[in-house]
Amino acid sequence: MTYQNTDTRSGAAKGRGLQVQALARALHRGLSALLGAAAAFVLLVMLVIVTVNIVLRYGFASSILGAEDAGIWLNVIIVSLGAPLALGSALAMRLDVVQTRLGARGQAVSAVIADTITLLSGLAIAFGGAQVVQLVGGSSDALGLPESIRFGFFAVGGGLVLVMVVLEQIASGRMIECAIALVAALAIYFGAGQVHLSPGLPPSICAALIILLGVAVSAPMPHAFFAAAFLAIPLGASIPEPAMINIAVNGASKFLLLAIPFFLLSGTLLTVSGVAERLIRFAAACVGHLRGGLGQTTLLTNLMFSGASGSSIANAAFGSVTLYPELVRNGYRPERAGAIVAASSILDNVVPPSIAFLVLATVTNLSVGKLLVGGLWAGLLLAAALFVALRLTVNEAAVQPRAGWGLRGHTFLRALPAFGLGLIVVFGIRFGIVTTTEAAAAAALYSVGLAVIFARARGAGLLQAFRGSAIEAAAIGMMIASAHPFVSLLAIDNVAGLVKQAASLLGSGPVAVTLLAVIILLIAGLFIDTGAAILILGPLLLPAAVAAGLDPITFGVIIVVTLMIGGLTPPLGVLIFVVAGITNVPSSALFRSVVPYVAALVCALILICAYAILSI
Amino acid sequence: LPAYLRRANAAQSLTIATLHNDDDPDVKAWNKVAEVVEQKLPGQFSFNIVKNAALGGEKEMTQGIRLGSIQGALTTVSVMSAYVPETQILDLPFLFKSAEHLETVTAGEVGQGLAAKLAKSNFIVPAYINYGARQLLTKEPVLTPDQLKGKVMRVIQSPLHTKLWAAYGANPTGIPINETYNALSTGVADCMDLTKAAYAAFKLYEVVPDMTETAHIWAAGVMSYGAMFWNGLSDDQQEVFTEASKAGCAHFNALLKSQEVEAMAEAAKGGGKVFQPEDRPAWVAGAKPVWSEMADKVGGMEAIEAIANG
Ligand code: NA
Ligand code: NA
Repeated sequence: MTYQNTDTRSGAAKGRGLQVQALARALHRGLSALLGAAAAFVLLVMLVIVTVNIVLRYGFASSILGAEDAGIWLNVIIVSLGAPLALGSALAMRLDVVQTRLGARGQAVSAVIADTITLLSGLAIAFGGAQVVQLVGGSSDALGLPESIRFGFFAVGGGLVLVMVVLEQIASGRMIECAIALVAALAIYFGAGQVHLSPGLPPSICAALIILLGVAVSAPMPHAFFAAAFLAIPLGASIPEPAMINIAVNGASKFLLLAIPFFLLSGTLLTVSGVAERLIRFAAACVGHLRGGLGQTTLLTNLMFSGASGSSIANAAFGSVTLYPELVRNGYRPERAGAIVAASSILDNVVPPSIAFLVLATVTNLSVGKLLVGGLWAGLLLAAALFVALRLTVNEAAVQPRAGWGLRGHTFLRALPAFGLGLIVVFGIRFGIVTTTEAAAAAALYSVGLAVIFARARGAGLLQAFRGSAIEAAAIGMMIASAHPFVSLLAIDNVAGLVKQAASLLGSGPVAVTLLAVIILLIAGLFIDTGAAILILGPLLLPAAVAAGLDPITFGVIIVVTLMIGGLTPPLGVLIFVVAGITNVPSSALFRSVVPYVAALVCALILICAYAILSI
Repeated sequence: LPAYLRRANAAQSLTIATLHNDDDPDVKAWNKVAEVVEQKLPGQFSFNIVKNAALGGEKEMTQGIRLGSIQGALTTVSVMSAYVPETQILDLPFLFKSAEHLETVTAGEVGQGLAAKLAKSNFIVPAYINYGARQLLTKEPVLTPDQLKGKVMRVIQSPLHTKLWAAYGANPTGIPINETYNALSTGVADCMDLTKAAYAAFKLYEVVPDMTETAHIWAAGVMSYGAMFWNGLSDDQQEVFTEASKAGCAHFNALLKSQEVEAMAEAAKGGGKVFQPEDRPAWVAGAKPVWSEMADKVGGMEAIEAIANG
């Protein structure tokens, strides 16, 4: 950065600057620790409430009145506390492809624009949220508390985003840039109320263009969404600022979404407890002797892991830490090894439990139970496609002898605790003992048990797991919240009607609609995060698909699978970024190496589409 | 025509939110309102009806009305109790004898009194609708309350509903409506209650084929507008909107009756059976504790009994 430390007037001034910098760093660190601990604690409370309710219901035929609302409110609090922390993590959802091609000056300018966008979003959340507190009225029947509390926490979260961005900028010595961004954000925020423009474009399209600008300058995606919804108001949008924050918070206030932090917690603790390692040994005993045995072991491990965890990002991170070094040690080229890990991690969001399907269910009202069953079949098909692709691409000599049945049995028994997790989830949801959220909570509690028993995890280790899961869940929750105002703008402009019309121009038959949908989803997957794309495109594409006679559940599976494949493609391929971030293999090399596996996944996708069309 | 093209040449655009689709009485009622307004005030307003719950469920709709992103919506009275607890008087079990009884009460003094209270909470309510009566839905015929003992009953998360079914000895459980079919087919829940139209719409006759026509709670609804929008209208315009809303709500009630007939025909084709409740005093007895418990909230026992005996 060429702009750093421009303060060279005098040693004393420089000294003061450094003091301020050190103070900001200390404040940033202290606030992060405080927020992280608070978010972890709220997640613990939420887990306790949901599991106590299960025990009461099935053990004592009673329940805590208001447990559902309480859980929802706590989840909003986790998002509010954790979102400021997510800014500095890999889950900030920043696209850096454009940025890295700019010169130093261009990068500096785009960084200031990105900060302005984040600060503008923080201002809109803080002030808009405060207005909601005043205006929303009403109370939760079940909790007997005013509705405004939920929005108050979110407003505080917006304020914390502002504080964290400013502290982080000062701590890294970017005082002037920080001042410029702050002044710009304040000027835009307070100026926007005075302006009414009619750009001749529908407000939703204006918002989309602003989002694209935000994504291009590498602003965190959720904040690009908030800033865009706010800036759409002077451009003619009919959603006032408080309503926009209200819509965002309501979007994240679904009981089903509580499953996200619970599933993230299970995934993390599965690794912490060492039970995930046992899965690898069992997988190796089953398929290690095959051609490309270690690649096949990676695939099978990921398939089993995905039956217990719901986040592909968690799966990619787990694979990068545990499976990738094994592959490289046994002669796989690093980029090939990383590509195998990334490609097989998509199974996690397709095989139940799956955060992607949870998000789709909340926004379309499709049954999450039916979606998960569809996801199971799709996941097995995708795994089969990857199995074939691995056989064709990996030329490794078999490094392992075929394991005897004794070893297989032994490793199977040792892996049993992990299968217990899968059983809780599948039986819980499918056979109706508990709802999806409760199954997720039971799974999380079970993995806390695994961590305590097998890894002797105690306070600090568990706190770390709760904290990490809460921040990750907050990042996802913030994305979900931020996408909702934009989704409402699209609904008010009836863009779904336009998509339906476009589909009917292509013949409105199921083939045309499926083709159009897959193309739109693949293009969206290039640029936007999977969760956001599901929220935006699910309600846009589903009506056209249903009108064409396609089964909504199968179509939902197509949406998720297509967008997950987008996680492996440039420029924005979240799974590739996660693997690149951990393994230090350049993402460009990974994008090249993953091509055969993407091709295999696309073949499986075509089969699913064919099934959807032929089964009408 | 896409909404944004219409908006370009219309004077004032209203965003109307609905949970339903084109064929539903809800949307047709709003079309009626738009038609009357257009007839009386040509070119002054354009109605943008956003369907399929794209702007959220009932609670989100009421919040949108208060915060100005939505100008009008049809909702149940129940959701309004978060703002005006007195509206729960219309939700009391075994209070109304028939659709006509409910419609007379909402059009009369009680309805006007509640509308005045709602106006203080920024909801302008020119007219009420009737979503129909809730009926008991079970896997095997249930004719008397004691047959409910120990059964897991899916309810809306509301103390009023919870208390009613607990009074019969059932075990009330809150499950979101889109998960209810799955919960009933897997055995998480044994029974539930719903209006006839919704019973068929969710194909619940496949999992709870036996309907007992208890008509225990009537689902009244309101056509409401945001005060911010309403206060921006001239007196003449307000008069037109009031008249149009009354026409729209009357249209809704007529459509709902034929929709219920169609729904029951569809349910019968899918294996649904209809039963009449026995021992009515026992059913009503279960409701009485709910009345006394809610009395303070809804304006006193005299107000309740005035409706019941009306
Ligand atoms: Na999974
Ligand atoms: Na991509």
